[in-house]
Amino acid sequence: MKGYRRYFLNKAGWFVITLIAAFLLNFFLPRMMPGDPVAAIVARQAQGMSNSTGVQAIYEQYTKLFGTDKPLFQQFFIYMGNVLRGDFGYSFSQYPRTVAEVLSASLWWTVVLQFPAIIFGWVVGNSLGAIAAYRKGGLDKVAMPISILISNLPAFGMAVILLVVFAATLKWLPASGGYAFDMIPSLSVNFLGSALLHYILPFASIVLLAIGGQAIGMRSMAIYELNADYVRYSRFMGIKDNQISRYVFRNAMLPQITGLALAIGTMIGGALVAEIIFSYPGLGTVLLTAISGRDYPLISAVTLIITIMALIANFAIEILYGFIDPRIKAAQSD
Amino acid sequence: MRHTFRQAFSSGKFVTGFVILMGLLLLVILYPLIFRAPPLQIIAQGTFFPPGIYVSAYDSINAPTTYTLNLDGAAAKRVAAKLKDEDRVAMKEWLVVAGVPEDQIDISDAQKLLTLWAENYDPAKQVKGMTLARQRYFQRVNNAIQGLLSTEGAIIAVRQPESGALQEAGAVKQTDYVNISEVPNVRILPLGTDNFGRDVFAQLVRAIGVSLLIGIVAGLIATGIGLVLGLLAGYVGGAVDDVINFITNIFLVIPSLVLLILISFSVGQESRGAFTVAVVIGVTSWVWTTRAVRAQVISLRNRDHVNLSKLSGHSLFRIIRGDILPYIMSYVFMALILQISAAILAEANLSILGLGPRTTDVPTLGLMMQWAMIYQAHILGKWWAYFPVLISITLITFSMNLMITGLDQVFNPQLRN
Amino acid sequence: MGKVMLEVNDLTTKYITRYNEDVYAVDHVSLQVEEGKTLGIAGESGCGKSTLALSLMGYYFPPLYYTGGEIIIDGRSISGMKPDDVRRTILGTEIAYIPQAAMNALNPTRRVINFIEDVILAHDPTENKKFIYELARASFETLGLPPEVLQKYPVELSGGMKQRTVIAVSVILRPKVLIADEPSSALDVTSQKMVIKMLKNLMETGFIKSMIFITHELPLLYNVTDDIMVMYAGQIVERASAREAVFDPLHPYSKGLMGSIIVPESGLRDVKLTAIPGAPPNLKNPPAGCRFAERCKYVRAECRYTNVALYDAGPGRAYRCILSEKVLRDCYEHERAIAA
Ligand SMILES: Nc1ncnc2c1ncn2[C@@H]1O[C@H](COP(=O)(O)OP(=O)(O)OP(=O)(O)O)[C@@H](O)[C@H]1O
Ligand SMILES: [Mg+2]
Repeated sequence: MKGYRRYFLNKAGWFVITLIAAFLLNFFLPRMMPGDPVAAIVARQAQGMSNSTGVQAIYEQYTKLFGTDKPLFQQFFIYMGNVLRGDFGYSFSQYPRTVAEVLSASLWWTVVLQFPAIIFGWVVGNSLGAIAAYRKGGLDKVAMPISILISNLPAFGMAVILLVVFAATLKWLPASGGYAFDMIPSLSVNFLGSALLHYILPFASIVLLAIGGQAIGMRSMAIYELNADYVRYSRFMGIKDNQISRYVFRNAMLPQITGLALAIGTMIGGALVAEIIFSYPGLGTVLLTAISGRDYPLISAVTLIITIMALIANFAIEILYGFIDPRIKAAQSD
Repeated sequence: MRHTFRQAFSSGKFVTGFVILMGLLLLVILYPLIFRAPPLQIIAQGTFFPPGIYVSAYDSINAPTTYTLNLDGAAAKRVAAKLKDEDRVAMKEWLVVAGVPEDQIDISDAQKLLTLWAENYDPAKQVKGMTLARQRYFQRVNNAIQGLLSTEGAIIAVRQPESGALQEAGAVKQTDYVNISEVPNVRILPLGTDNFGRDVFAQLVRAIGVSLLIGIVAGLIATGIGLVLGLLAGYVGGAVDDVINFITNIFLVIPSLVLLILISFSVGQESRGAFTVAVVIGVTSWVWTTRAVRAQVISLRNRDHVNLSKLSGHSLFRIIRGDILPYIMSYVFMALILQISAAILAEANLSILGLGPRTTDVPTLGLMMQWAMIYQAHILGKWWAYFPVLISITLITFSMNLMITGLDQVFNPQLRN
Repeated sequence: MGKVMLEVNDLTTKYITRYNEDVYAVDHVSLQVEEGKTLGIAGESGCGKSTLALSLMGYYFPPLYYTGGEIIIDGRSISGMKPDDVRRTILGTEIAYIPQAAMNALNPTRRVINFIEDVILAHDPTENKKFIYELARASFETLGLPPEVLQKYPVELSGGMKQRTVIAVSVILRPKVLIADEPSSALDVTSQKMVIKMLKNLMETGFIKSMIFITHELPLLYNVTDDIMVMYAGQIVERASAREAVFDPLHPYSKGLMGSIIVPESGLRDVKLTAIPGAPPNLKNPPAGCRFAERCKYVRAECRYTNVALYDAGPGRAYRCILSEKVLRDCYEHERAIAA
């Protein structure tokens, strides 16, 4: 076990560093741009928004909460402290709801939608890719061009196509939302059934996207491994073909895992856009409404949460990888 | 260099991708030369006109010559166009309710059906259990098929300015035809119009061009930054490498979409033109190139020819230009293509989020997609407003990926099988 | 004459490339290796040495295909056996192979001992792991390798150690014939010496009974082998004892290859096989007649259309040239006189 410690500590260290970097970026980036969002709040107040008492309340609370009258670096620590307590202030566009309230509802929709979909797509994509690498014949010839085409579709493209085919045209599945519009979220069978029905299309579109990209990567990894010297040597030592297949699959899968760790951020981004197409009640849709409502506190919180989600996913995969790839331990122990 | 190009063009995949891309480029360049109408002009009153050839009805009536053509089945076609299958089924339903025996109704015989309808339909009749909407529907059907079986032509009348009375000015017979080339106002809308009433095809052509430009600007910026940082990190090494590597590792895991959103939002609506968006995309997507260039440079750094140059006291710039760049050029070129296609996708994603270029004088593929989504073209079945956009994006990224795969196979023969 | 361990008759194999072209890299090769002997194979890069090594295993997979000939190991013909029988009863146990790029020959994610287990279990699934471990440890000890190596992953081993490990793994089942394809070419001098010493010891310690040794290094060829076969464009062009092949080659190609050596024993150190001007023919469609004709100094008109057979030239000696032994020797003598 000792051999792993250095690896884990290293990864944990990076996790903390990137987390801090994420906070810094989230805080300073918008403030360094010409259109300072905090200044925009004041401007809006002057313009007199329709809900002027709301703006007034937001402004006062914002000043207090984020200390906008204090120097920038001091503001940052105040902000950090607030964020760590889960306090993101009021939402502009959905006042008097707080950002935390808006997010607590949508975060789970996103988590429950995206992570299973990405993992499932990854597993299926890799299996298909490996099979395609082995059986060069029919499957490879048919499946690969399809995968290549799919992987070239933008994330929202897949969502739109599924929506048009299965919801708008065939009317098999609902086109938008996370549950039937006349329901109130609860744990009843009816509600869960409706949620499941609404889950299928967004899930499928994320899965299909993941499959396309992963299958291609896995196929070329597996082909590369199949041509590796150890495959030939193992054959000549009389090792059975299916044992060799296991070697190849395992060795080809390892870089795919690291690949997933690095691609997870992009995948989450793509999935968010897919959510928007389906008006799924997750973070993507919140982000869209936040952007169209110029709701800076909400945007800032959503992007931060997305980043943290990506960082956690990345960290989890790296840790898992540490257990799976024996070379990690070997490399760390000397 | 020439050799490299020849090698690249020996790959079928590269050539296919290249041809597709050049085809798109040719379209982008040639189309506006032939059809000069501004692509964002609002020409249609109403939303989502379907694709087709639009012939001025006024000009058709006033065409210089009318020709008489006696064509078989003209009447039948006329009926078929107005009387859809679902209407026939609905009519049968009504007639059955009205008491006509079911076996007497043959919906495939339009003539009989219409006569039956004329005999039995009564707009005022209340059918039990029928919703108001359904009743309205039947009234609409009834109006639509009025006079469908008549063999008379239509009369054109003009209003007398003084008395207001109508006076016959001409007649259009059912056998009258005009030659489309004699009609002065004909507009072909190959992809119909969008929600604002603009020619989708003209807009699409322009959008492909703009999106490609955004891609190229962003790609050049990203590749430029990546190349410089990668060269510095890889060749200079030491503390420089540590710092650059540290930064790259951080940006590697922070989703670039997040950076894009934060910067784009902060830039503000007003200053977010197409060029700004391209720059923002460019400065947020250099990470991969940096890493890859760094790795390549490190593997080159201690090769004999580089050491020889170092020993001969050549300057850093000269070594990089003469002994390192040529070896990574093919790779950098591939990275550039990849960045371009990624940037086009990034623009589309941003636009869907409502953070795309905020201009009304150029369309981009992302903006077209956003408009189509906002106006629910996909749910309303107006495929021409979004599907061609999707196809264009896919074609661009697909052709670029083909080019990269082709180049990869040429330059890394290991993958060839 | 010792017992014949490996006998090959007219073996022909080909590669089928991606574009469906045939590359005949081993063309009607016949050879014999006796018990206790080492046969060397020499020839310039691309002449088909590695392909011959692969073909000798009797176990073919794409892109290499068997087209004819027979392989007999210790009196038992393996051509015509089912592939799975070859795998189970021949590979590793009768004939074993050390690949040219032994650096990457071991699965990077498997410990050496686990790989040895896989090898042994593939031949006899009933073997237990403890026994395998003991066997491996004993073998490694005899071969002078530290037993700790068994618990390591290939990445943890140095290049020389990796190569010696591969050798030890290859002979773990005591094969009768070992084929070593340039086993030392990628190593530094010290590791090279250790590897060669190890290979030379294999026969004495009873791990193998005979060996085929492929190399680019002339001194190694001379020091390690008993007999030498020179290959050119997929064919054998000369076969002789090591001494004769190096110091008294008959075929013009061998002569060119060994070119610089004139006095026996004196200047063999650091001598590489000499480069001959010109390039070997394309094996996709080899020329009619003698394949060396294009580059031969002594070429005659008939060389370009006569199919030349291997001519016997005394016991264990043969060469592929239409010129007689005497004419060739005269030519070489003449040349030497001019040079002097
Ligand atoms: N997988 C393959 N597919 C097609 N042709 C091949 C393949 N491997 C080798 N060849 C061809 O077969 C011929 C013989 O190659 P081989 O590797 O046996 O040469 P070699 O004598 O071992 O060379 P070296 O000394 O460089 O190892 C060459 O012309 C080569 O191009
Ligand atoms: Mg070889």
